[in-house]
Amino acid sequence: MPAASSIIPALLPIVAVSICLVTATQAQSNDAERLAVIANTGPQGFGSLAAKEVRDELAKRSVELLPSLLAAMDTSNPVAANWYRTIYEEIVTREIHASGTQWPLDFMKEYVSDTNRQGRPRRLVLKLINQLEPEFESQWLTERLADPEFRNEAVALTLSLGDQALQSKDTKSATIFFRSAFANARDRSQVTQAAQRLTSVGEKADVNTQLGLVTDWWLTGPFDAPAKSGFETAFEPERSINLQATYEGQGGRSFGWIRHQTTDALGQMNLVNALGQTDEAVGYAWTEITVEQNREAELRCGADDCCLVWLNGKPVSTHEQWLNGTRFDRFINPIELQAGRNTILVKVCQGPQHRNPEVFNYWSLQLRLCDKDGRGISFQTALPEVVHD
Amino acid sequence: MNMNSANISGKWLSTIVITACIAFPCFAAEWPGWRGPFRNGLTEDTGVPTQWSATENVLWRAPLPGVGIANPVVWNNKVIITASEGHDHGELHVVCFDRVTGEKQWHQRLWGTSPSLFYPHSGMASPSPVTDGERIFTFFGTGDVFCFDMDGALLWQRALSHEYGRFQNRFAASSSPLLFENRLILQCDHYGDSYLVALDPATGANLWKAERPEAWHSWSSPQIIAAADLHELIVSGSKKLDAYAPTSGEQLWTVNGLTQECIPTPVFAHGLLYAVSGPNGNHIAIRPGGRGDVTETHVVWKYRRGTSFVPSAIIIDDRYYLADDKGFARCWEIPSGKILWRQRLKGKYTASPVAADGKLFFVNETGTTLVLDATSRDYVELSRNDIDEDVLSSPAVSHACFFLRTSKHLVCIGNE
Repeated sequence: MPAASSIIPALLPIVAVSICLVTATQAQSNDAERLAVIANTGPQGFGSLAAKEVRDELAKRSVELLPSLLAAMDTSNPVAANWYRTIYEEIVTREIHASGTQWPLDFMKEYVSDTNRQGRPRRLVLKLINQLEPEFESQWLTERLADPEFRNEAVALTLSLGDQALQSKDTKSATIFFRSAFANARDRSQVTQAAQRLTSVGEKADVNTQLGLVTDWWLTGPFDAPAKSGFETAFEPERSINLQATYEGQGGRSFGWIRHQTTDALGQMNLVNALGQTDEAVGYAWTEITVEQNREAELRCGADDCCLVWLNGKPVSTHEQWLNGTRFDRFINPIELQAGRNTILVKVCQGPQHRNPEVFNYWSLQLRLCDKDGRGISFQTALPEVVHD
Repeated sequence: MNMNSANISGKWLSTIVITACIAFPCFAAEWPGWRGPFRNGLTEDTGVPTQWSATENVLWRAPLPGVGIANPVVWNNKVIITASEGHDHGELHVVCFDRVTGEKQWHQRLWGTSPSLFYPHSGMASPSPVTDGERIFTFFGTGDVFCFDMDGALLWQRALSHEYGRFQNRFAASSSPLLFENRLILQCDHYGDSYLVALDPATGANLWKAERPEAWHSWSSPQIIAAADLHELIVSGSKKLDAYAPTSGEQLWTVNGLTQECIPTPVFAHGLLYAVSGPNGNHIAIRPGGRGDVTETHVVWKYRRGTSFVPSAIIIDDRYYLADDKGFARCWEIPSGKILWRQRLKGKYTASPVAADGKLFFVNETGTTLVLDATSRDYVELSRNDIDEDVLSSPAVSHACFFLRTSKHLVCIGNE
């Protein structure tokens, strides 16, 4: 048997490695416990004292903490996210000036490319990668056209590449870039820009369809609604839709339903033009659309002044906001469309004239149907085709 | 015009400062929050320069990490300022500079919970921070409240838009928080569910929350006044002025007559509360106290011309001054309501005026500061000073220095 004195030195490296592994495992376990303390912060300032204590400890760590810290930062808890961020900022600010720091770059690149993660920590990581590898972003961004967080930057880059191709007289390449930008853009100004570029190279691009704007309506009004009573007052169209009916409105004036298809570049319905200049009144817009299958979607709308929306007879958007301009996507409402026909009724209240008679009293509506990323959904109008003379 | 009589002192600031000190501890040299130590643009600080340029009497100039119109806050050797930038202006900054050297002491970078629409020049950093000397409280247009110690360590955060609904507001939440008797009070008026809330400065937890179902968007900051036998919390917005008990949030009285969208902060002097809203609104002087709707009984003065959308008014001795957004300024004698002078000041105005050491300072949007003699009943111009950068933020006066937040820098101006 070998003497104990010869075995002990032979075992020492194994013991040392084991101790290191145990220590590392314990450290990771401790990190996880500490990060979990911060995850418990929440409303009413809850958990702040404990969060600060572990924050101060974790902020002393090196960049080896970043993978678990960034994983924790991928949270929908806004309070916890900021506690984590203070740790991140302290470590990065300290380490960026140190020499020989072993940044977990592979993890960071994987993290920044993961569209399932929260956008804000991804942006933070991209900023750090750009400091460490300034050449990374330009190539990486070309692959982010479908990325919800970086889509706008990728579309802007694609448009710019198209412009460069056009300047080089390479219309074919430019067209490909512009088509790609148009298909992937979700921001309305980018959709419009891409459509303009496509038009400039002789291609058609329908902004209203791309954004899912509803442009074909039946309209009626103005119903009399003095002293902002219109929001609360239910007029006949809220009880039943009869497109042949006539109603009595302001000053005993009689009116019915009129068909109106807007030609506005972003599908805005100008009710002053369609129903007449009026104050303290209510107008209704009604339409029918079809979709192929049951689906979730978003009904996004804005109106001047306030609007209420019913989908298939059920209220889906109710906002009493006077002196309220028609702003794109002002109200975002999750909806469920049914396969086949769906009806949309909108009540648009018109407020009193501003005390300055030179201030025009606008009355308008804008409504679209899209997915949660803002891409217009595919639908058909179910209204009969308008026959033009 | 017929106003109730009020006891007016002719001595520089004395009455107003004494009145204000009933409600606030007096920090002669500090500028701890929106509109200074008394929340009315006045300070007891002295030795403030009256002559400068982009280079003359500039003690230091520090770049800012983003936009904002929050005024700087000064406490001892620290100058604290907020800013926002980035995607949807969701990147929030709180920066502390050394008051003497301008060197950065600390810089906290945080995320805004729920960016709303915003004004490009102010982003999410319209509300001014406030400090009690032990902690700094910041509120952003994203609905986030952060508390730091004086060395910049985060102590707690409230994400009000996450807890009570996203702020629906075309200029983002802009009301500056108010510290009063161990309560941090926030006015959160917007198109969604409006409310007032008082937080525990130590923990961030609610002490009380008062719903404001009739209030829509407003950007005015709350005011605290020492009325007859109690303090009243004054809130301006949505065509009216409301008073609440600051300890409980109980609504006390209401006065109608403001415009729908209110931005200026009411000011209090000689027992009367002065509120303004515009354009095309009213100046109203109100005798505080009472219960319920006191419009018919407590409004002692109304004046329709020269109302402002953004700038607040300032009262010095028995004179009420206001420059509207277009730079048309008036000075009224109070309580008589007699106009002492009218003057076009040149330029547009977003900043609210401040006064120190017998001088009155109006800063226009192109960065020209007009200095008037605040001891005179006449319009007496002492100087005009250009900083050569746009300025929308209200200045701070502290430790014999004039702090200007320009579109790009924080500038400390003092006698070299």
